[in-house]
Amino acid sequence: MVTEEEIEHVAKLMRIDVDDHKEFVDKVHAMIDYFDVLDSAGVESEEISMHEIPISNLREDKFIPFNEKLIDKLNNYKGTYIRAPKMST
Amino acid sequence: MNLKISALEFVQEVKNGNISAEDFVAKTLERIQSVDDKLHAFLSVNEEAVDKAQKIDKKVKSGDKVGACFGMPISIKDNMCIKDSKTTCASKMLENFVAPYDATVITKLKEQDAVFIGKVNLDEFAMGLTTEFSAFGPSKNPWNLDYVPGGSSGGSAVSVSAFECIASLGSDTGGSVRNPASFCSIVGYKPTYGLISRYGLISYSNSIEQIGPLTRTVKDAAFMLNIISGLDVNDNTTRDNKNEDYLSEIDSGIVGKKIGIIQEMVGDGIDPAVLSATKDAIVKLEGLGAICEEVSIDMVKYSVAAYYTITATEAGSNLARYDNLRYGYDFSVEGYEFNSYISKARKNFGPEVIRRMIIGGFVPSAGQAGKYFLKAMKVKSKLTKEVDEVFKKYDLLIAPTVPILPFKIGEKIDDPVSLFLIDINTVTANLTGKPAISLPFVISNGLPIGIQLLADSMQDKLLLQAAYALEQTVTLPEVPI
Repeated sequence: MVTEEEIEHVAKLMRIDVDDHKEFVDKVHAMIDYFDVLDSAGVESEEISMHEIPISNLREDKFIPFNEKLIDKLNNYKGTYIRAPKMST
Repeated sequence: MNLKISALEFVQEVKNGNISAEDFVAKTLERIQSVDDKLHAFLSVNEEAVDKAQKIDKKVKSGDKVGACFGMPISIKDNMCIKDSKTTCASKMLENFVAPYDATVITKLKEQDAVFIGKVNLDEFAMGLTTEFSAFGPSKNPWNLDYVPGGSSGGSAVSVSAFECIASLGSDTGGSVRNPASFCSIVGYKPTYGLISRYGLISYSNSIEQIGPLTRTVKDAAFMLNIISGLDVNDNTTRDNKNEDYLSEIDSGIVGKKIGIIQEMVGDGIDPAVLSATKDAIVKLEGLGAICEEVSIDMVKYSVAAYYTITATEAGSNLARYDNLRYGYDFSVEGYEFNSYISKARKNFGPEVIRRMIIGGFVPSAGQAGKYFLKAMKVKSKLTKEVDEVFKKYDLLIAPTVPILPFKIGEKIDDPVSLFLIDINTVTANLTGKPAISLPFVISNGLPIGIQLLADSMQDKLLLQAAYALEQTVTLPEVPI
């Protein structure tokens, strides 16, 4: 059983801050509780199969010129740099 | 001008000079103008659509080579990039994002002279199955405006169903093409994983999602698949279909084909009207010469939990890029510390996206991964083995697309687990990468019911043949709008 504190901790780590706190925690709680059904699937000994994708057909790793300045499409930039907030106050 | 024609009929009419693409597109825009206030399928309309159609008409008249679409008006789910047009994902976070490039499906459709009539509504970042989680308001079901149209490609389904375009592209992560197709009484196709490039589709759950067409007829779905499928150097999960022609031999019939009826999808919780429709479909398939038998796929019981665990994990990773520094809305960084800025910026995500991001951070985290994420991946593996085993004995599988009828807007929005369970019949195709189609089958008390057929990987042609055969046995009323 997941605890509210655990949910709140993950939300903080993911930099998600919500206003109607209780409603969010309750709904996330209900959703994660439903996942407990996986415990009865009996798959402990199952191997996780991976789908292999050959890297032979990857596109060539070369510079493709783009006609427009992508940085002009950003809200916060200065010169050729993205503007970010200060890392600490 | 009759807007209620199929894609193939449209192409033939323009080719023969009976109608012009310009007139048809202009009338389609008038239709959108007159009905979309009620339906809210469109998030934006392409004001240049008529000019584009006019240019295609000129090519037709002058005898120049014309692409297979001949100016056909198509709507596009607003999570696919069209260069220089807004691509919002129905999110406040991307409200003003203008795509700098075309998705591969868009490039292919442009090469075939399709006309993009507009971008259509979805649940925010395709997370939902009712279109109620769009940041710009829900779409309405054209069969009854008080009811949800399904989702997440709800705008796509509404626009095709209500004659606001001829065909649409949606994306299907857990049923997001098939569910709204079923709720709006049109055809929805989820191809084999890798058949259609995802390049330019804004990512939600990369290992599972696929772009798929929503159309009026099975033949139209095959026509669209012919155009948009195949290898793409920009998406190395794409598969070589050797330029398969999905339209040819579509009328081959299904005599002698073995069809498994998935017991876990017709059991507890199914609406009696949906069960009755499924039984009718089975009788019709048998009448067409197929052999139908009950099959059991045990892992289906756990598929919804596995699906939401895996997709939330991938969503948590994919949506981490939305820090409002590179993409986002106009919100100055001045005066903010880094973490508090991002936290505040992310308040522009809607509630369902936030919930899935939190879950996506929780289920794969240290101490929890073994209980949730790894177990979900094991269920996915075992489910795939079980389905592969079933396809050694059967050519196709059948189940209702959705176990219940369309429901009222707002009826289930506060109950996320009850919403989860509506996906029970559709997520198997996504988790296993198999192709699946939803076919409009019956209208029950004014609300549509769709039937779903599934086939083995890369058996898309067989699937379309079977769907076409069943479609020929069905006569449906016209949408009442």
